[in-house]
Parts: sequence; structure tokens; C-alpha cells
Amino acid sequence: MSSAVSESKLKEYYDVALKLVLKCGPLMQEGYQKAKTEYKVKADFYDLVTVYDKQIEDILTEGLVAAFPESLIIGEEESAVSQRQAELTDAPTWIIDPIDGTTNFIHRIPHCCISVGLAINKELVVGIIYNPPANELFSAYKGHGAYLNGEPIHTSKVTTIKQAVIAYEISLIHAAGVRDKNVKRLYKMASNATGTRCFGSAALTLCYVATGQCDAYHVEDLKPWDIAAGAIILTEAGGTVCHTSGSKFDVMKPDCVCAATPELAKNVISLIEEAGQITEYTFK
Amino acid sequence: MSYRIGEEKLEVYYQVSLELVRKCGPLFLEGFQKPKTDYEVKSAFYDLVTVYDKQIEATLTDGLLKTFPESKIIGEEAMANAKTPPELTDAPTWIIDPIDGTNNYVRKIPHCCISVGLAINKELVLGIVYNPSANELYSAWQGHGAYLNGQPIEVSNAKKINQALVCYEISLIVVSKGRDKNVKRLYKLASSATGTRSFGCAALTLCYIAAGRCDAYHVENLKPWDLAGGAVILREAGGRVYHTSGARFDVMKPDCVCTSSEELAKSVIQLIEGADQISGYTFK
Repeated sequence: MSSAVSESKLKEYYDVALKLVLKCGPLMQEGYQKAKTEYKVKADFYDLVTVYDKQIEDILTEGLVAAFPESLIIGEEESAVSQRQAELTDAPTWIIDPIDGTTNFIHRIPHCCISVGLAINKELVVGIIYNPPANELFSAYKGHGAYLNGEPIHTSKVTTIKQAVIAYEISLIHAAGVRDKNVKRLYKMASNATGTRCFGSAALTLCYVATGQCDAYHVEDLKPWDIAAGAIILTEAGGTVCHTSGSKFDVMKPDCVCAATPELAKNVISLIEEAGQITEYTFK
Repeated sequence: MSYRIGEEKLEVYYQVSLELVRKCGPLFLEGFQKPKTDYEVKSAFYDLVTVYDKQIEATLTDGLLKTFPESKIIGEEAMANAKTPPELTDAPTWIIDPIDGTNNYVRKIPHCCISVGLAINKELVLGIVYNPSANELYSAWQGHGAYLNGQPIEVSNAKKINQALVCYEISLIVVSKGRDKNVKRLYKLASSATGTRSFGCAALTLCYIAAGRCDAYHVENLKPWDLAGGAVILREAGGRVYHTSGARFDVMKPDCVCTSSEELAKSVIQLIEGADQISGYTFK
């Protein structure tokens, strides 16, 4: 069942979510300062989660459901506990990562954030990403542009890979199942870019493309909550977000190419295709 | 002729250079905060310089030579037009990078800094690395520990590669000579590390290890001024700085492995040796 959402309702979703995210700032900062404490291992030894992850997600979930009982939640911690594959319906659905960049959080590297996205009728319409250690609050809702601490942000005008500073999640090379793909794609992209960075937070990296600090980003095998909020912020900042193949971006299977301009996105997609042609050797 | 430097003289070098570096903070921020920072291309499309690099280097050089007329300077911008590679003598020699991470600086990515190192009798004895964009001033002089904004810092206790957050300059893959080496070494390190990052600033990366935020770093083909300041800070924080082969670090040919511990350095060196054995494929 599809229902149109009014402009004022959209604004209400945005305002309430923004307040809740800001409310979590002190808690996140408290955990950040404590550093390297109270963590346990989940899934793999390097995928760390902290008590703060759970606390922040609880605050957001409870606040949003109290304000909008009709809405649903897809959250990182909730998914870890329920072991249930999340499904996106037409209902307003909050897609939450209480701390994106948990490894950075634990190491006191200031690239970690609270990320909240909202999808309605399966379309992303609100994105809020808050990095308290760096005092950065990125926000956007559909049709109203993107902002950093209340100031408008816009992507760069870079159209070719040679001019671009790109970002790539080189940590993914750790995972044997996707290692070869990532080594080859990184090789192709970094061989052509003016610079290549890896900050360790997908949500924030999308924001750095939105601000024009970086120009392109490619990542696969992440979760909806890693990408949802950043994707709407980037598109509201004038950027392009598409599936790695060049087709329409699907937040529930968020393999993506994100770029400042459509031309640059095409450039990146071509390089990824070239990487896929390297078959004579496999990096195990 | 060997210089004998007393403790008191060393402290004077430290206090004077610290004050000069701080004094460059406002100028650094002026360029960083400018909506658009103009730059020139130096040796290659990814090698940038701004007017601020030149002004900051002039301020530091003039100030240091005025106070210490007996000392020498090896500075990035002064060397930019030099016909011969710099030579390190026994004389007190300031090794200066006015802006390390210029590509980040022009894009307002807050991983850029002023870096000053001092070598006497060819030994590094003093390091100051200042990142005004993040309000971080790292400093150290031989035998007196390392500090961040006046507070003592210490490396992490990471001893195993599978516990380590590793840093690597993936931007170097753009240089065709060295490309194959860099892709393979990254592949080996990232396959084993708990996480891998690339911030685009060597001096700061050494400081992040010194502060325990990251645990290991390997880089080659950089210049003395990229590493000199950070190497002293890392050592004074309890870290290790070696030549890539495991031999003694040579600041004038600063191919290095930098880590939080001796054990971790050995692991990184072994992985690099493993990477260098891969002959089934060449990344051109």
C-alpha cells in the first residue's frame, strides 16, 4: 500500500529525527572519550560493537516509534540480535546505524557517526549523519538540499577520474570472499585518481563526497544502514548514487558507485568493469 | 666534525621551534578555510603546492636561521627547485614540510599539518607536527616523551597484525613505477589487519600511531620532510621506526615500517617480504 507523504509531514519526520540524533551526541562523545573499553566481538573478531552502539540505537528507536507509531525500524543492532533479514516495505522505515565506524570509535579516530535514514514507499527521503568528535552534523530531506551544521553543501564539479580524489574501503580486503574483487578494483581506481583515501566510515565518506572534499566512492557488501542516510545527503548535495552496474541504486542491496557528477560515476563504473576483466590471477 | 649538544640547548631548539610552528597556525587556517584554495602542480598531476606552503616554509626558515645561524635547512619547497638531492651533515639540520597533505589541505580534508624535525649528528632529536584544522599539536624531543596538546601520548599495546589497524598510502598506486609493489603489499597487509586506513598525510599517520589511534604504517618513496618530524614523535611515544628491510631507519631514504611494538614491526616486515615474492601477476 502506497501513501503520499505531505511536505509538512516530511519536515516533521526530519525535525524529530534531527533532535533525537543530537540528543545522542553527549552519549556518543562519552563513549569516544573512554576509548577501547567495554567492547565485545560479534560475527568476526574485527567487527566490534560497544555498549554505546546499543544504547544509542535504543534511544533513537524508542523516540522515533513513540513519535511515529506507524513507522518501522531497520537497525544494525536490532538486525544483529534478531538474525532476521530486514525487508523494506512501503511503510515509513527508519534505517539506523547507531555508530558507523565502530573501529574508528574504539581507536579515537574522528571518523565515526550516528546515521539515520528514512525511506517511504521504498524511496530514501531523509538522511541525518552526526559525527560528534568532529562536530559535524550532516542533514538532508528530499527536495531541500543538504547541509553541514546548517550551511548548504554541494559536491565538486569533477568529471574525470584523473582530477578526482576517491575513497575506497580497503579494510574489505580482509574478507577472503571479496578480497580479489577489492584488490583489483582498488588497483584500477587508484592507478588513475589524483589521490585515494580510506577513512573507515561509509556514512561519513558519502558526506565527504557531498561536501566536495572527495569526489567518488565505491563500496560493496555493506548493509542498508551503512549507506541509507549518506545516499540521500549526497543526492541532495547534487551527487550521483547508482548501483555498481550503473543501474538504479537499491538501498537494501547497497552495492554502489557514488560520485560528484554523472560523468565521474560513468568513469568509475568503466574502471570497475576493467577490473572485472583481470582473470589471469586471483588474490586469495 | 661532530656536534655535542647539551640538554639545555636541545630544549631551546624545542621551545623556539614550537613557538614558530604555533605562529604559523593562523596562516595555515587562512588557507584551509578559504572557499577555494589555489594551487600549482609540481612534478605530477597529483603533486600540489599552494602559496601557503611557500609562506609557511619561509616563516619557519627565517625564524629558525635567525635564532640558530649555525643550523641548516632541508625544506620541501626549498628543495623543489634543487638540482641535487639534499645532503644531511652533522650540523643541526631542520627538516621541514610546511604543509604535509597539501592535496587534503586544498580540499579541506582535516588530515594536513606543518611538520618540523631536527637532526643533529645525523640523528633525529626533535619533532613537531601541528594540525591546526583539528587543533592537534604533537611534539617530542629526545628522551622527554611525546605529547599531544601538552598531554603525554603513548602507542597502543597491539602486538599482532590481526589486532592492528594498519595505515597505507594507497594514493601511491597512481605512480606507475612502484604500482605493482604497492598493490601487492597493501593486499598482504590488509588481508591480515583488523582494519586498514589511508589518510593522505604521512606525518600525521605517524602521530596517530604515537597516540595509539592506529598501530602500523608502511610507506616508501617519500621524502625526508614527510617522515622526520613524525618519526621522533613516534619513537618518544614508545613506537618503532625501521627501514622496510628491518634495518636501521635512514631519514634521507625514509622507506619505513612504523609500528606500536617490536613484535608488530616484525609481522609487518614478514608480510612485505611475502608480498614481494608474488610473481604470478604484475600490476602495470
